[in-house]
Amino acid sequence: MSEQKKSVMVPFTVAAAACSGWLVSDLGPMVNPVKPAVGLEAHDSHAAASLLGQFRTGISSWMFLRADLYLHNGVEMRLLTQDEVKAGRKGVGNSEADKAQLHDDSLIVTVVPPASRDFRGWIGDLERATSSYKDMTNHSHNNPRTTLPLFRLMTWLDPQFAPGWTTGATILRWENTMPGVRAAHEFLAQGLEKNPNSIAILTQIGFLYMRPLPGHPYSDRDIKHALPYLEKARSVGVGNFDKLTDEEKEALMETYRWLGLCYRDSGKPHEMLAAMTEGSKLYPEDPIIARFIETAKDLISKL
Amino acid sequence: MNPRIYTALARTVVLESLRRKDLWVVAILGFIIILTAGTLGFFGFDGLEIFAKDLAVTVLGLFSTILAILTSSRLLPDEIKNRTLYPLLARPITRGQLLAGKLLGAVLVSWIAFLILAVLTAAALLVFKVKFEPIMLQYLFGKMMGLVVICALSMTLSAYMTPSAGATMSFVFAFGSSMISRALVMGYDSAPEAIRPVFQLISVLLPQVSLFDMGGRVVNINWGPVQAWVMWSLFGYMLLYSSATIALGWVKFRKQAV
Amino acid sequence: MQPAISVNNLGVTYRAKKGESLNAVRGLSFSVAPGEIVGFLGPNGAGKSSTLKALMGFVEPDAGELQIFGDQAGTPESRMQIGYLPEVAMYYPFLTPVETLTMYGELQGLFGKTLRKEIDDLLDLVGIGHAKNKLNRSMSKGMLQRVGIAQSLLGNPRLLILDEVTSGLDPVGRKELRTLLKAKRDEGATLFFSSHELAEVDMLCDRLILIHKGQLIEERTMSTLKDELREYRLTYRGSANVSDIARDMNTGADGITIASFANAESMLGATERIRTKGGTILDIVSQEGSLEEYFVHTIQEAA
Repeated sequence: MSEQKKSVMVPFTVAAAACSGWLVSDLGPMVNPVKPAVGLEAHDSHAAASLLGQFRTGISSWMFLRADLYLHNGVEMRLLTQDEVKAGRKGVGNSEADKAQLHDDSLIVTVVPPASRDFRGWIGDLERATSSYKDMTNHSHNNPRTTLPLFRLMTWLDPQFAPGWTTGATILRWENTMPGVRAAHEFLAQGLEKNPNSIAILTQIGFLYMRPLPGHPYSDRDIKHALPYLEKARSVGVGNFDKLTDEEKEALMETYRWLGLCYRDSGKPHEMLAAMTEGSKLYPEDPIIARFIETAKDLISKL
Repeated sequence: MNPRIYTALARTVVLESLRRKDLWVVAILGFIIILTAGTLGFFGFDGLEIFAKDLAVTVLGLFSTILAILTSSRLLPDEIKNRTLYPLLARPITRGQLLAGKLLGAVLVSWIAFLILAVLTAAALLVFKVKFEPIMLQYLFGKMMGLVVICALSMTLSAYMTPSAGATMSFVFAFGSSMISRALVMGYDSAPEAIRPVFQLISVLLPQVSLFDMGGRVVNINWGPVQAWVMWSLFGYMLLYSSATIALGWVKFRKQAV
Repeated sequence: MQPAISVNNLGVTYRAKKGESLNAVRGLSFSVAPGEIVGFLGPNGAGKSSTLKALMGFVEPDAGELQIFGDQAGTPESRMQIGYLPEVAMYYPFLTPVETLTMYGELQGLFGKTLRKEIDDLLDLVGIGHAKNKLNRSMSKGMLQRVGIAQSLLGNPRLLILDEVTSGLDPVGRKELRTLLKAKRDEGATLFFSSHELAEVDMLCDRLILIHKGQLIEERTMSTLKDELREYRLTYRGSANVSDIARDMNTGADGITIASFANAESMLGATERIRTKGGTILDIVSQEGSLEEYFVHTIQEAA
């Protein structure tokens, strides 16, 4: 290649790499290092600090929503409105229990109603016919594994997108196989490397250790391995509770629940009581944490 | 009715657009799509076909709609601004014929852009070993009919408002019609009986652009082609809505002082 | 015989926002006979362009009747007989003159070899045959004006309506255009044009129509106007008194008198009288009056 061509190609290659966002996640911390102590703000200081970061976050969130849609084979559902709830209508969240319900649009509330409840007549008929989203005929619950590459892609695009890591791991774990569990652990380990203080990822790892897989080495709850992750999630959460997003707060509530279980099953009622009392101050209305307090007190009284 | 009038006007719009390199942008975008598709392979192809198809129909729908709106919403205002309208209107043609010819040009530009993108995305989908299905062909026809509605709407809006306002309104209708439609359907049941006709009226007046998008059936599994009555109905809707819309544009334009 | 143009009591009003309106033309009436070349004059804002636009159907008159060869003006039938050159027009920047004229020709109902030949001939005629395949955007203002002139001549129209015909042309171009327009007149075409260039009017027109503030001020044939404006001047020495037949007379300290006359007859009568009285005629001048002075004077009077 001539020198002239090289001089043209180099800036082009660099520009193309920059535009694709390639290696940006690795370059980011060098330019604007994330302080370990404020891991919860990693998203603010890292991805969202640049337009590219926001774009990546947006794309990842979009993929997350699309993945949910693919799992329902394109049928788009919606929540019941307050009026519908008042009118006594019932929707089903998960119709896996009864396959017949999958195709029953009187039970599953889709964004466009069935012909019997659609005032638009011909236009409504056309919409049901042209769009997969609103026709229940082919509604199914597809194998979650098919969306896995998408989770890999979204976490590559935005490594700080915790729901991508945790849901991806859940999908891997879904199969109830040893390779699946290992893959889920590996996937979450990658996520934790990028987000060392993510409450959601830490709790998800704890959950993986606490979920038994009959007939395999993970046949028992592995409290020993789960506890350090859950404790770390607890310490990150409790120290920064006011700064947590709603999703992180929800993850922290899960942390307390799993912690309660860990301490109960490992015979540490005092630790259980301390953790649950702390949790109940943050989540006073959570019935599980409240019940664990009673359990802990009961266990202590029996000592 | 001399067909040469329409072909002459349409050819000018297409030639101008080609030479202004509007369609180059589309080709470059298509190239980026192929490049992106190649990169996606890095994450494993199994399971990504659906996403790749979804990305393809999203990109196709998005860029062809944007180009259709930008082309058709500036046709009339540009003619007036650049004073190219005078020699045109000095010819023995009616303003209605002028509008129809220009609309035909805008539609052809949108179709060319759409088909270029379609070929490029199809090439990209081959990487994922996506098989051809009849619904894909129906999807293409459906989108092309939808582009006619969008072009007619944008052109009419540009006769009533400034070019940027017209384009913005067109974007709102093109991308938001589905959302507005959902809101209407959800609100209808809880709306008082007296207001319900208003919902029905809005539903009829609203450009139902999303009806022409069969992307959901293309992307997801086993949906299969739609029945013939659906395609004919879409064709009828396109004819009816585009004619009504452009007639509305003509009402404004036919006596407009230039 | 039907007049080429018949304007009867024309009124054009533009409605601005906030309820204001502007009467651009009021009660204007005139006609143009077939084969005439008529100049349409008036200061800026007099209503010339509005009148032409009304004739072409670009604006809707709010009063009056306009006809082109007996057809109602503004209809496709009437425009079939008109070649129109707008005051300032752009011609699609990304088309060539050939493509531009092909489109206009097809709209005019021409096609095939006939159209192609006519386009080639016209482009040669207006002197841009060498640039027929260049994009319009690469052309100068003068060349674009020539494209405009060529498009106005497409289909050999019976009536040419030209708004500021020589705008953008250099002196050579103007001369060529005058020759071309005279040739068109010789072929039987009617020419109606507005211009600020009084010299053009002087050299081209059979008749002129002068308007101001949307109303007709004067309508004159060029021959009578020129006669009226022509100035006859006599310089002599002697005692002869010609004040009764002179328009103006001035005698200097050296005894030399300069007298001006309204027509040749008066001047000849004066020379006779001077000779009889033994005077000496030093100079006889017969010169055309200034059209510009006439224009300014008439407009000022009307104002």
